[in-house]
Amino acid sequence: MKKSALMVLALLLVLILFSGPAFCGNGELKIFTWSEYMDEENMPKDFEKATGIKVKLDMYESNEEMMAKLQAGGLGQYDIIIPTDFIITSLINLKLIVPLDHSKIPNIKNLGTKFSNASFDPGNKYSVGWQWGTVGLMYNKAKLKDSDVASWDIIFDPKKKPGSFYLIDSVREMMGITLVYLGYDFNSTNPKELKAASDLLIDTKKRKECLGFKGGVGGKNDVISGVADAAVVYNGDSIQTVSKEPDKFGFIVPKEGSEIWIDSMCIPAKAPNLEAAHKWINWVLEPEVGAALSNYNQYATPNDAAIPFLNKEDLKNPGIWPTPEITKTLHFVKDLGKSNKVVDQAWTRVKSH
Amino acid sequence: MKKINLLVAVSALSTMAFLYLPLMAVAFFSVNDSKYGLEWKGFTLDWYVKLFQNDLILQAASNTLVLALVSTFVSTILGTILAIGMDRFPWPGKMNTALDLVMHLPVIIPDIIFAAAMVVAFGFLRTLTSVFDPGLLNMIIAHITFQTAFVALVVRSRLAGIGKEIEEAARDLYAGTIYMLMKVTLPLLAPGIIAGAMLAFTLSLDDFVISFFTAGPDSITLPLYIYAAVRRVVTPQIHALSTLVLMVTVILVICMERITRKVNKKQKRL
Amino acid sequence: MNKLIIWYGELITGNKLLKRGVFFLTPGMLWLVLFLVLPGFILVLVSFAGRGTYGNLIWEFSLENYTRLIGYGIFGWTLDYVYILLRSVWVAFVTTGLSVVLSYPLCFYIARKPPRTRYLWLTIVIIPFWTNMVIRAYAWFLILAPELPFARLAAFLNLVPAGMPLYPSAMAVYLGMISMFLPFVALPLFSSIERMDWTLVEAAQDLYASNFRIFMHAILPQTLPGLSVGIILTMVPAMGMFVIPDLLGGAKYMLVGNLIQQQFGASRDYAFGAAISIGLMILTLFSLYLYKRKNRGIDLI
Repeated sequence: MKKSALMVLALLLVLILFSGPAFCGNGELKIFTWSEYMDEENMPKDFEKATGIKVKLDMYESNEEMMAKLQAGGLGQYDIIIPTDFIITSLINLKLIVPLDHSKIPNIKNLGTKFSNASFDPGNKYSVGWQWGTVGLMYNKAKLKDSDVASWDIIFDPKKKPGSFYLIDSVREMMGITLVYLGYDFNSTNPKELKAASDLLIDTKKRKECLGFKGGVGGKNDVISGVADAAVVYNGDSIQTVSKEPDKFGFIVPKEGSEIWIDSMCIPAKAPNLEAAHKWINWVLEPEVGAALSNYNQYATPNDAAIPFLNKEDLKNPGIWPTPEITKTLHFVKDLGKSNKVVDQAWTRVKSH
Repeated sequence: MKKINLLVAVSALSTMAFLYLPLMAVAFFSVNDSKYGLEWKGFTLDWYVKLFQNDLILQAASNTLVLALVSTFVSTILGTILAIGMDRFPWPGKMNTALDLVMHLPVIIPDIIFAAAMVVAFGFLRTLTSVFDPGLLNMIIAHITFQTAFVALVVRSRLAGIGKEIEEAARDLYAGTIYMLMKVTLPLLAPGIIAGAMLAFTLSLDDFVISFFTAGPDSITLPLYIYAAVRRVVTPQIHALSTLVLMVTVILVICMERITRKVNKKQKRL
Repeated sequence: MNKLIIWYGELITGNKLLKRGVFFLTPGMLWLVLFLVLPGFILVLVSFAGRGTYGNLIWEFSLENYTRLIGYGIFGWTLDYVYILLRSVWVAFVTTGLSVVLSYPLCFYIARKPPRTRYLWLTIVIIPFWTNMVIRAYAWFLILAPELPFARLAAFLNLVPAGMPLYPSAMAVYLGMISMFLPFVALPLFSSIERMDWTLVEAAQDLYASNFRIFMHAILPQTLPGLSVGIILTMVPAMGMFVIPDLLGGAKYMLVGNLIQQQFGASRDYAFGAAISIGLMILTLFSLYLYKRKNRGIDLI
């Protein structure tokens, strides 16, 4: 009995020692990012080559999920996060992110003017642009014609035959799209309008064709694997596949309009490795690095200096760089302050019926 | 009667098939040479090879093991002492009921409520010290909590089974408390303690919900990894990982059965 | 208290025994109180707090979370949450019921096997029981995938559009739940059935009792202890389940477990999440109490 207890103890010690480096992880740069948002294999390696700092990635599928993790004690566990514009307001208000030290980010001059003076963070006090893009519909061309998907009624109108589809599991995106489809403001806080939107979403999700809600890259992956015929997705995620197999898949921003967003790099309060975080931000802003990133993930770059290094076809792709006509229909999500709660309750209603 | 027997057999076998069909499918498609979709494109072991090159998965496997071993070790000690404390002393009835209730709590409340309570409680502790940031320590504490209750319940039922006589005899022979504990009570209890420890170990391996609510970025366990991956996309690599977990489970269960039966046999001879 | 007593053959004073008893109880109980009872109380406290504009916890006493739970919200009076709670109870109930129905033949079948192979069969039932629930849940993705015969058959019968998987759906949730909890019923039930006195059944047969009456009068009473444990072991976790509805219900067919997870996750409304947890706990304890009153003397393990 004693002997075996001792053996177990020894085994434990060995195991803990063995996994020791995992506990502390000195000098690592920990990035909390959307899944499949960069070349997860090579980009960390390139950064390590350039600076000698190891990178560790952790993934999320929605802004809300990321924020929940931060608020549940994740503040001291990441050095870089990549939130979307409207969330940055919340993050600043809750003091979850810290101001950047511009003297350590000389490359900040590479940002386009639109991104150095964005309304959510004028002067880049807290955030530096990472990528920007839209939300639209990815579809399987064998099942749906291009003309079918010109309007959002392909998913909202029960008379249309959309095949199986996924909605996006992200409050503001999905509510906003539903609101503009109904002819309301993308950022409406009017309870009546929100109720109408949530009713429509409830009716939609109850239909046989609707497979439910999927966050981040989930919907896009199910379209590729053939489980779904269409899904509401972020543009770049799907265009990565669409541009490789243009005969099989398509991406479109339906005519009623949708969201346009900017994702930025921020540093959480209590980040363990501030030095490395600033180095990462500066490195990403290098023209070649920024271009390689966008060429991989097929999103548009906020880095003006990187544009000459982008693939020429991508620049002409309206899915990545929307034409002025499309841009007119796109809306930024606004931070609603106190009224966030109303939208949240509308969403809970959608999910709970 | 024959008709009923046939009916029972058919129903039983189809229930077994129902339990195993999904697991078999996972194993089957883990050797399919196609990244997306379920069309059979030929046999491959690539997915298994890739598992062992994936640092994240190896890390998750080691986390899972460390979590299960450490929490089982601590909870077995705590639970055993607790069971002795409850069973071998003349507590007044009311207090017994209260102790009993506390011990049964993890059994009778859904684990998600326990997990929610843990989230809130660690949130408070975190304002005192950053040691309680989500991570392995939190997970170990949470696991120990529910395991201790289960171990104590198992050991106590064994204690009740032993009865008074042997310990009384030891006292008659002038055994001191510590001597009696080490030489009489604990050896008699050993099967119960082992059973409790094994239950605790498997409960820890089997847990998802409590880990999900307490884990940090560096303490992902295999079930958490699989869950996150499945929400993105189901790949043959996940099938391969699941198949390996399944195989380890099979081996573990068989070992457990063996040990329990051996212990029972020994017990019968006593 | 300081009288001499004889306890387990030892002559000892009450005080001394008490001290020793407390010494044994303390470590375990302290742990359980610190990490189980205390967090429980904090959860109750939090359920009366509020949510700040940006999802932080605000310490203002209010009953808002509870009024919201029973249906009063900004969209007027809706029973959304009550509906979810009831649906969870219903799903747990159906899951338990079907698991019981499937478990009886399974246990009879195994109990009739010769002792040597019996344990092999039992092990076969135990293995899925110990396989991690995430794996068991997502494994149904494969069975219900559009390429497989089941979905093709359903499409052929015009139940779903062709080329569609059979998940996420209510049926998928039930399939997942039953496959998850069946062993929870089957194992305790088996321990009762193994010890069953079959002569009673034979006697009933000799007296030309119908099969139904044989079951109700000769089998059910004998297997009740195991059955009761099985039912409790299934009902309780089934009420709080969130993995299966999440994966197999497509975040579409929501149970109370998902609702709680959502509050602690995306919605970041700890206070409301705590209130739902308390609601679920009361519901669970209440049904256990009802059940215990009807079936006295049940041991959980």
